Amino acid sequence: MTDPDAGGPASLIELDRREVLVAGAGAAVALTLETGTAQAQASAGAEAAPPGTAMTIRPRINGRAMSVEIDTRTSLLDLLRERLQLTGAKKGCDHGQCGACTVHLDGQRVASCLTLAAKMDGRAVTTIEGLAEGDGLHPMQQAFIDHDALQCGYCTPGQIMAAVACVREGHATDRASIREYMSGNICRCGAYVGIVAAIEAVAQGRQA
Amino acid sequence: MSVEPFPDRPRVDAHEKVRGAAIYAADVALPGLLHAMLVPATIAKGRVTAVPVEAALQVPGVVRVLTATDFPPPVQPAGAGGPPPPPPMITPEIAYRGQPFAIVLAETLEAAIEGAEAIRPDYAPDLAFTPLIDSPGHRREPVEPITAGDAADAMTRAVTRHSAEYVSPAQHHNPIEMLSTTAFWADGVLTVHEGTQSTSGTKGAVGRNLRLEPDQLVVKSPQIGGGFGQKGTPQRQSAIVAHAAMLTGRPVKLVLPRGQIFHNASFRPRSRHRIEIGADATGKMIAVRYDADHQQSRSGQFPPAEYLEAAPQMYGFTDYHGTAANVRIDTQSPGYMRAPHPHPSCFAFESAVDELALMLEQDPVAFRLRHEATIDPIHNRPHSSNHLHSCLREGARRFGWDRRTAAPGSMTLPDGTLVGWGVASGAYPVHIHPNIATLTVRADGTTRFAAAAHEMGQGIRSTIEQVLVRELDIDPTRLELAIGDTSAAAQHTTAGSWGTGSVVPAALEAASRMKAALAELLGDRQVGGNLHRQLARVKRPSLSVEVTRIPYGQGQKELATFQQGGMALAGPFFPAFTTFSFIAHFVEVHVEPRTRRVRVPRVVSVADCGRVVSPRTAASQVRGGVTWAISAALREVTEVDPRYGGWLNNDLADYVVAVNADIGEIDVSFIDEPDPVVNALGVKGLGEVAMVGCAAAVANGIHHATGRRLREMPFRIETLL
Ligand code: FES
Ligand code: FES
Repeated sequence: MTDPDAGGPASLIELDRREVLVAGAGAAVALTLETGTAQAQASAGAEAAPPGTAMTIRPRINGRAMSVEIDTRTSLLDLLRERLQLTGAKKGCDHGQCGACTVHLDGQRVASCLTLAAKMDGRAVTTIEGLAEGDGLHPMQQAFIDHDALQCGYCTPGQIMAAVACVREGHATDRASIREYMSGNICRCGAYVGIVAAIEAVAQGRQA
Repeated sequence: MSVEPFPDRPRVDAHEKVRGAAIYAADVALPGLLHAMLVPATIAKGRVTAVPVEAALQVPGVVRVLTATDFPPPVQPAGAGGPPPPPPMITPEIAYRGQPFAIVLAETLEAAIEGAEAIRPDYAPDLAFTPLIDSPGHRREPVEPITAGDAADAMTRAVTRHSAEYVSPAQHHNPIEMLSTTAFWADGVLTVHEGTQSTSGTKGAVGRNLRLEPDQLVVKSPQIGGGFGQKGTPQRQSAIVAHAAMLTGRPVKLVLPRGQIFHNASFRPRSRHRIEIGADATGKMIAVRYDADHQQSRSGQFPPAEYLEAAPQMYGFTDYHGTAANVRIDTQSPGYMRAPHPHPSCFAFESAVDELALMLEQDPVAFRLRHEATIDPIHNRPHSSNHLHSCLREGARRFGWDRRTAAPGSMTLPDGTLVGWGVASGAYPVHIHPNIATLTVRADGTTRFAAAAHEMGQGIRSTIEQVLVRELDIDPTRLELAIGDTSAAAQHTTAGSWGTGSVVPAALEAASRMKAALAELLGDRQVGGNLHRQLARVKRPSLSVEVTRIPYGQGQKELATFQQGGMALAGPFFPAFTTFSFIAHFVEVHVEPRTRRVRVPRVVSVADCGRVVSPRTAASQVRGGVTWAISAALREVTEVDPRYGGWLNNDLADYVVAVNADIGEIDVSFIDEPDPVVNALGVKGLGEVAMVGCAAAVANGIHHATGRRLREMPFRIETLL
């Protein structure tokens, strides 16, 4: 989606934005998991729902089909974090500039802060919480531990989701390419050396 | 006491972090939560005269808008010697652009944002504001000089002199976790979740602003998504959000948009460093004059004198004259950002040393090795330990410095890329604060250690775990490290690289007390198994010990200050010695011949931080510090818009920090010699010295590559074209 503040013909963008805002005024919140737990339903439904433009989407999130009634203005990131308590994806800028919110959408990495939840109907979303099979770790998660590819851990879920995609895209061919294709994910702690080493290990099949 | 080198073990919280399971302040889920958004002023100075709230209240989902009249009046300064007043909450007086004048509370984040955008206040702007350090209206305020010997006299004996001015720009910390506060009031107690390096400081600031007693307030910050000093002093939004939670009786969460953080958090002020070094006929540095000043707010407290501290500890000259000043303008208050003073001052001083070495036609490593500091000339006391020369020698060896050719521009790659090899050193003061720790080992297999410390990614939990697991036969997988929580133990600000040295001695002593308590409990009974099994065998559910550690040179007064949540730092100038950490950085710079793009493919850093407690997280800290230095040297500056005040490039697209492609190989090693006296484990400090001097190594490398001397950071393509 276009960031309304990012430039372009100003009047047009203002108009676009206002339309979205007016259309989305007020938020109705209701959520049902078609094959899920009652926990997310209870926590999300607890808020008093003001009237406004709502819509229902049926995404599949971490393998679970669900039906969620959302405020049309909601970003995928805020849907995950504020409604579904999937707080692994982090907000570091809300502008598509840091990568902390990276998740997979139909297998591709996206900045979830720039992705409207309204567009998620029928789409498959994978977050850090759903990356591994069962209780174990995905090889990339284990590689991040082994190469100490993190410090504060705040960028880490986004880094790992981007790293898995980087390998899948075929961009983890050498260190220079890994660095280039991982440069949308800022690590302010400066764990880049470990991040590159972890991705290299996974790409070369050295990571179980 | 066991001070053997520690083994390499994984970061203790890495597993939960890679699963996205670590809980940061803004991740805390609370039923009935209200979302908040601040409304920032768009004038640089003046008053908000009216805040119409009707439009905001009509936004569906908006519950309430609070303005200045809803808040208690600001706390007045305590007077000389007292603590600085907490950040004010919401006032009609505007001291800087971006200052909040209202807070909107809503059922959803979307409604809070729309409500905030709907508020259009009336202002009475004061157009005579001072946006820049040299704008009309700035006020220069000198502080006490720092001197040793007689620099003026010694300078007359110098035969070679170098003098120049060096500039470090305004910068913002930008940890990836944004500032946020979540607060709720229940059963007469206010609980605040906030990413802060100072739960004690937040508690004090919120308590004083809202006139709460200490037992009415709990602050929790178990994981911080990066601090770098931004989260080390009280944050403006904390008491605003806490007050909103008390007024509404509901939990309130505020995550500041990054653009607002640029204006409301502290920042590294622009600083200028005028340095003169004189060398005698033998080419030895004998006299240094250092004059520094920096950008300061009208009432800010971030001191300028510390720029003068590092240089006289590094090279053994004994005639030194340092002067410093605040330059007061209209801005928010600057503050501590990673290696707050030593990074700019060692950029300046270590560039100047390089320039002098070149004037004397000496190799910059050999020149530094001709100068050894063993005493602190300011206080005339010995250094408790100083392995800077070992750092320089080991770094030169690892880097392959002996293959360097001296002439600028003499090393090139086949494609014409100019190669420069630069070196520089760094020093950082060592501080320690008191600590009161409790350690409980239970028969059910769990262990809990609670003390003053905060984890912002530097790996402090890993250092505590190293000590406890080495000393005690306990189950490390069920060890709870309760830190960053005022309800678990008295807390102290964790910053300035004093965290590890202030907590691991307490962990060590707690472990030895635990062994003694267990021996007493068991008497002459022979019981096998780990500590948990032993307790179970003798049917004792748990065993607890408490230890109080007071640093060398402190007493009951400082302990009481600590217990009351104040700052209680010992060092670096202890009664009988002075303690600094040291580092040497060796940097390879590549300058593309046509575009003049600068790259840093290779760095070697060797640190003297005393005993290394957690080798893995320590190495990571140094790589992080080097990354910060490269970022500071080549990328980061926050620009003021002099027409309107405030920061222009207030997001991560325009405030450019180092990304993965900017960083190459970073080889890190340690001297790993415990300091003999500073504390029981010989730990000095690491997180900040890791960065110090490295920006000068980049500048010195660029000079070696191009012959161009750059004295103002950041060094960009346009600087070199
Ligand atoms: S939060 Fe989405 S890119 Fe920063
Ligand atoms: S680990 Fe802290 S931002 Fe990457």
